[in-house]
Amino acid sequence: MGSSQWPAGSRWRGARSLWPWLGLLAVLALVRWSKGAGFMDAYALLSRPFWPGSAQKEWLQSAATLENNAQLELLQQDNKRLRQLLELKQQSKEGQVAAAVISRNAAAWWQQLELGQGSAAGLAAGDAVIGPGGLIGRIQSVTPSTARVKLLTAPGSQIGVWVPRTRQHALLVGVGTARPQLRFIDKDIKARPGDLVSTSPASTLLPPNLPVAVIQTLDSRAVPAPEGVVQLIAAPEAIDWVQVQTR
Amino acid sequence: MARLHTQPICVASALLVPLLSLAQPAWLTLSGVAPSWAVLWLLPWALVEGPVSGSIAGAALALVLDGLGGDALTLLPALTLLGWWFGRLGRRGRPIQRSLNLGLLAWIGAMVVGVSLWLQLRLVQGLDASVLQHWAWHLCLTQALITGLLAPMIVSWQLLVWRRRSPA
Repeated sequence: MGSSQWPAGSRWRGARSLWPWLGLLAVLALVRWSKGAGFMDAYALLSRPFWPGSAQKEWLQSAATLENNAQLELLQQDNKRLRQLLELKQQSKEGQVAAAVISRNAAAWWQQLELGQGSAAGLAAGDAVIGPGGLIGRIQSVTPSTARVKLLTAPGSQIGVWVPRTRQHALLVGVGTARPQLRFIDKDIKARPGDLVSTSPASTLLPPNLPVAVIQTLDSRAVPAPEGVVQLIAAPEAIDWVQVQTR
Repeated sequence: MARLHTQPICVASALLVPLLSLAQPAWLTLSGVAPSWAVLWLLPWALVEGPVSGSIAGAALALVLDGLGGDALTLLPALTLLGWWFGRLGRRGRPIQRSLNLGLLAWIGAMVVGVSLWLQLRLVQGLDASVLQHWAWHLCLTQALITGLLAPMIVSWQLLVWRRRSPA
């Protein structure tokens, strides 16, 4: 009977002492396989009290807002200069009159608002009425102290609009419901639901580039031209104050 | 007592119709649609006063409300006709005073007003989009319903007061 270098009992003892190391190796392999997920979670849990506070978040946000405002101002100046070069109508806050809504008939046969400012404040028929978010209608008639606004949703209301992304013109037609119809002039439309609808940049009757609505649905097979349904950005039934752009 | 049209307070009560049409109290609307205040005022007036006074009152109210409404729609034919019809009903047989009858008459009145406006939109202005037709019917039925529901309360009270002031 031959004898081994290691006694049988000590071989098993050696193998047993290897198990913890093998286990550790398996755990490390798991860590590698999970890309350190456990470590990251543990680190996040432990370091949470030392995370940057809300103050730093606000600083960053205010810095971003400041940067956006500065960029907006620069772009507005640029836009103004270019529009002057092209002799297009200016879009400005000058000539805007704030008016309170004193009566509203948003869900009636006549869809209109009555405003608490009239011709004495410089308002005239045809002026654009802007709510928070965009255009809501045009002034239909004025008295010295009141003005009547025909809403874009009123049956028979029609204004020319365009889709800035695809640069296509369309007609916004009121059909009584809160969502007017968009009737395109071109047969081949590239607009899609979610696109913004605004007044035309070359508009002379309305302030240019004023947001109006967002396209909800499109029927490209409608005859004689494609049409869609839009959701107005400004909701006339919930507006107490409006701005009137005088001409 | 004198007839209603000779009593200034009764005539002045008609001013409430344009005022309420402008104010549109939200708590008296059904899904945002207000009742036809003109029908609610005209119904008891015509029932007490008769067809001639009823149609004249209807025409007068329509002129005022058309002025407030603007556009090419008019209430004149519907309210004049309703004033005449309500007046004829008031002159025939036993006085109408049951809540159900008053509610039904107000419902019919509001439907007549709604259908007349819808026909004007469709025939005169040529607006025939299917969405618009759905909206018009919805508005017409909702307005008729809220008018019919309010009539037993409002019209009954007006009839009571006006019949006391102008006994037949």
